[in-house]
Amino acid sequence: MNNNHQERDVYVAIADPTRRKLIRLLAEVDELPLHELTAQFDMGRTAVSKHLAILKDAGLVLARKEGRETRYRLNAAPLKEIQDWVSFYEGFWKERIAKLHLLLEEKK
Amino acid sequence: MKPDVSLDFKFTSSIEQVWHALTDSDTLAKWIWNNDFQPIVGHKFQFRAEPNEWWDGIVDCEVLEVEEPHKLSYTWTSAGETTTVTWTLTQVADGTTQLHLDQGGFSEETKARQGAIEGAKYAWTNMSAQLEKVLA
Repeated sequence: MNNNHQERDVYVAIADPTRRKLIRLLAEVDELPLHELTAQFDMGRTAVSKHLAILKDAGLVLARKEGRETRYRLNAAPLKEIQDWVSFYEGFWKERIAKLHLLLEEKK
Repeated sequence: MKPDVSLDFKFTSSIEQVWHALTDSDTLAKWIWNNDFQPIVGHKFQFRAEPNEWWDGIVDCEVLEVEEPHKLSYTWTSAGETTTVTWTLTQVADGTTQLHLDQGGFSEETKARQGAIEGAKYAWTNMSAQLEKVLA
């Protein structure tokens, strides 16, 4: 499948709690500059901007320069991949099979 | 029916052990959900997950094929969508077992469902705990 790569990116992008918090913050507003986002975390702006870069690569945030600051906005469209049933069940079965693996190993 | 979900897994257990895990109700409960499964063609059964705000937690199923220890297939109806789950087991020469899963029959509407961005925002927050386990 052609879209596998992008799909994985979206899953990886949201697997991290900092990045989920960033999405949540951006979901509530139109746009936020980096320094305002950084203020919400116990980490420096470099760390926060690394997380934003991963979200940007997955197409989940859009960045634009305004003067000296970069402003970020949410692009939630790629998240719909996760909501669709096929992706849901792929994730679901992988998780279940991981459990089955443990179960069969225990029996050995 | 063309599968929409197609996944391959490998086990170091024997084909009989994997078959048992797929067809024994108590074992199934440990890795899927509580159920009243029986490996009998035509048997109707349910998987029962913890219900939540968005889902009653019930999956209605009917056994379609039982070909011990190579093939097992049942319908899977949940949240208004009926699909078919088919497990295919293959014994490999080195004693390991290959397990192939097909889940097919998703409606075109479901596959094509666009938008629902608000719903998606909502859904991923609730599913993320599960996703994390998948990705771990």
